[in-house]
Amino acid sequence: MAVKVLIPTPLQKFTRDQSSIECEGNSITELLDSLEQSFPGIKARLCDEQGQLRRFINFYVNSEDIRFLDGQNTALQAGDEVSIVPAVAGG
Amino acid sequence: MFHLTPVELERYRRQIMLPGFGEEAQQKLKDATVLVTGVGGLGGTAALYLAVAGVGRLVLVRGGDLRLDDMNRQVLMTHDWVGKPRVYKAQETLEAINPDIWVDAVFDYVTPENVDELVRSADVALDCAHNFDERNLLNAACVRWGKPMIEAAMNDMEAYLTTIIPGETPCLSCLFPEKPDWDRRGFGVLGAVSGTLACLTALEAIKVITGFGEPLASQLLTMDLARADFAKRRPYHDPECPVCKGARRKDGNAYSSQNVQGEAIAPQILQLT
Repeated sequence: MAVKVLIPTPLQKFTRDQSSIECEGNSITELLDSLEQSFPGIKARLCDEQGQLRRFINFYVNSEDIRFLDGQNTALQAGDEVSIVPAVAGG
Repeated sequence: MFHLTPVELERYRRQIMLPGFGEEAQQKLKDATVLVTGVGGLGGTAALYLAVAGVGRLVLVRGGDLRLDDMNRQVLMTHDWVGKPRVYKAQETLEAINPDIWVDAVFDYVTPENVDELVRSADVALDCAHNFDERNLLNAACVRWGKPMIEAAMNDMEAYLTTIIPGETPCLSCLFPEKPDWDRRGFGVLGAVSGTLACLTALEAIKVITGFGEPLASQLLTMDLARADFAKRRPYHDPECPVCKGARRKDGNAYSSQNVQGEAIAPQILQLT
């Protein structure tokens, strides 16, 4: 099912400068694979070698951090908005 | 009860007249000390708005000299100051704008050696440093001493902001248990972007100090200023956070695990003494 994914600036070089994309996936894990298929290289920025989400990046489904939900297994519904928020330190 | 001078009452008249603000909020600002770590496009501009709002004492912490490529956003600086320690110019500018406040300039970065003394002296801290080392140090010290910290950070046209109240809200380590590599000069910045975030950051401090309005406690405001997109999200509060597990508010209330998976967490504002 199609969900909207908000891509932060540092990753937009993978998405041809798009800040918002439509992507398929019934869960965050599926979404990551689907993202990688469309935008090769992006998954390695989001996950470590074991496929675990990097701990300096937050994933929000609508407004909830997925650690409140089911982590990478969090189910996605059509129309959900997934936002990716990396830690930054610009001041 | 209030000790505002006639000059202060006149200087701050337009904010005192805000419904729900009044002389009481102004007095709380006058009595407050705010620590600002990082005095760049973000921290310097936030300090400017706290100075004109009448925060009684500002403590500015920043090592390093002013560079010409700082001048697109560091509005407390002047061209003739390039090459000199920026924190002293920030102090001079703020004192010239508002002679009724105290401004302390600390020509240093946040270090393990100085962070506790800096945080203990303050009622609220603004986390505006340009690297994660200083941010992590300030977060841990604010948790240790039960002091609210406004976390503000940006990258290119994006930014986020949240108010951390130890024992009540997630801390920076709950949000991001690890930090990525960071090149402090590796991104672009428009002064209007760091300045927008700075105004919102100053406003959070004013809310925490005075109780006026509702701060972003347990809320992460994200903004994409290239598109003027703003959103509030619920950041994760880690019950096993190595930094803030068991943290207490200043009034001694124990951290409540009910808040972790709870519904909406009512923001409780730390009453400053």
